[in-house]
Amino acid sequence: MSETILYLIQQLINGLTIGSTYALIAIGYTMVYGIIGMINFAHGEIYMIGSYITFIVIAGLLGMGMVSLPLILFIALVISVLIASTYGWTIERVAYRPLRGTNRLIPLISAIGMSIFLQNFVVLSQGSRDVALPPMISGGWTFGDPSLFEVSFSYMQLFIWVATFVTMLGLTLFISRSRMGRACRACSEDIGMTNLLGVDTNRVIATTFIIGAALAAIAGLLLSLYYGVANPFIGFMAGLKAFTAAVLGGIGSIPGAVLGGLILGVTEALTAAYFPSEYKDVVAFSLLILILLFRPSGLLGKPEVEKV
Amino acid sequence: MKKFTRTLLSVGTAICLYGAAAQADTIKIGLAGPATGPVAQYGDMQKIGVLAAIEQINKAGGVNGMQLEGVIYDDACDPKQAVAVANKIVNDGIQHVVGHLCSSSTEPASDIYEEEGVLMITAASTSPTITEKGHQMIFRTIGLDSMQGPFAGQYVINSVKPKNMAIIHDKQQYGEGLATAVKKEVEAAGIKPVMFEGVTPGDKDFSALIAKLKKNNVDFVYYGGYHPELGLILRQSKEKGLNARFMGPEGVGNPDISKIAGAASEGLLVTLPQSFDKDPANQALVKAIVDKGEDPTGPFVFPAYSAVEVMTAAMTATKSTDTEKLANYIRSNTFKTTTGELAFNEKGDLAQFSFVVYDWHADGTKTPAK
Repeated sequence: MSETILYLIQQLINGLTIGSTYALIAIGYTMVYGIIGMINFAHGEIYMIGSYITFIVIAGLLGMGMVSLPLILFIALVISVLIASTYGWTIERVAYRPLRGTNRLIPLISAIGMSIFLQNFVVLSQGSRDVALPPMISGGWTFGDPSLFEVSFSYMQLFIWVATFVTMLGLTLFISRSRMGRACRACSEDIGMTNLLGVDTNRVIATTFIIGAALAAIAGLLLSLYYGVANPFIGFMAGLKAFTAAVLGGIGSIPGAVLGGLILGVTEALTAAYFPSEYKDVVAFSLLILILLFRPSGLLGKPEVEKV
Repeated sequence: MKKFTRTLLSVGTAICLYGAAAQADTIKIGLAGPATGPVAQYGDMQKIGVLAAIEQINKAGGVNGMQLEGVIYDDACDPKQAVAVANKIVNDGIQHVVGHLCSSSTEPASDIYEEEGVLMITAASTSPTITEKGHQMIFRTIGLDSMQGPFAGQYVINSVKPKNMAIIHDKQQYGEGLATAVKKEVEAAGIKPVMFEGVTPGDKDFSALIAKLKKNNVDFVYYGGYHPELGLILRQSKEKGLNARFMGPEGVGNPDISKIAGAASEGLLVTLPQSFDKDPANQALVKAIVDKGEDPTGPFVFPAYSAVEVMTAAMTATKSTDTEKLANYIRSNTFKTTTGELAFNEKGDLAQFSFVVYDWHADGTKTPAK
């Protein structure tokens, strides 16, 4: 294979990995939007909190002398999912539920407030400097001609791809097959009617937030392992990119969020590959505007049907 | 009744006098820089230097019989907040400021100080544009990017001799300014960088950039910017098998880069002001700082210390705290300080300032590069 093709493959691998990380966070946005039609701007901060819990747990376990990597990762996963879900549930209970049924703008402002609150809460309790972990999962495959260009694909990247795919699959099955999933779909169609039919809609919404937060925590864990650093401000940028991915794919649609994330990631990587890398956000967001001009409901979103 | 009025008057006068006396007893020095935010550790360096200087000078009897008092302001390295801080300093009646730290904060703040007649000495902002506006009240006790860039460039030309050099920066005033200066210098010597590109501060994923460096067979990278981004670039370069040596300015030279990059930070080249904490003449001072449980090794600690020294030396010589007199005195005299003999040019910059190239190690320490 020629150098050009190997280079393209490498950049596609990079782009799909970045895209998967956007997708993982985007699924949480899109779920909440799909059910109650609200953009949960505090979602990025939940991801950040998930990262911090991962750091604290892993550092603690390593400090206690634990050496088994799978066990460490499992404990870190369980604890960060539990704590992040508690945050997700609490946020919904405190900041959104009392505002349900009001003008749609009001919960949005409340969400932005929550996001700023959480960010500053972590700055004050954990400090604003970067925290870092030593590389936990290293190694990978390399292929290609070393004299031309060597493509590298790490285990960690594969791990992120698989995690994203499995999460998407699991969630799609949950929504389409389970009883709770059916209630979720009913809520997203007509929440008032669902309530009249005897479904506890408050419980359905709370569950949505818990699942969304758990996904953000999984993303937090994976990305902490991948990049090895976190600071209290990572939630903002990650949230913005994930939100873009969700809109791009069609907000409310889970496969759409994944597709949107992957397209955004690959666009960024290819722009950085063939143009000066400072243009990568310019190109990625121009693409978003273009797609929305021609498909306002996103790639896989259902067009809004006027209800009679 | 008359007697009562007189008593009241005298009490009033006494209170006024007392108030004036209390104010005259201390000279407040504003200390502006990031106490929070991602680059807060540089703010700490400045704070350690200034507070140590104030303590030493107060111990030696103060200035013109008055004690110094440091007042800390946090600009979080944010230009908007820096303007707010500068206005607050003016409103608080403080006439003498050491700071700010980030060039992008110092620049807007310096306009306010100039207008309000506040004397400002920065110990860390290295952007040349700060002193290019003809301001009279603005000085610095650190070198400029326009000195550091060419110095780094010369080192690259003479010692590194790269085959394929890349220059990366963070698109900020400080980082891009330095990167441009290095580019100019090496191009004059016939080294044409194969890449000159920017990254976005706060980004976490540099895999696309690293693949591009690999494709261009880059063996040497100069990075203009701060440590959070370079730390990640180093870490990811090692994971992706990029065999290149990196070099950066003092903005990357602090132990946090080793925390982020781990083993990948070994062998990084950093241009820093010389280590004044290793100067035998400063050992008593170093010990005093260490005894307080603080770190004297940061690159801005001693420039910040000497900023206070210059300010107070001018106050002693002119027997005044009038900022206009002080500025004139500083411009026309030389000062013996812990960072050597300092002289200022018409613009308020140091007449000369020397940098040293250090080899960075994975444990966060540094040794002079050969």
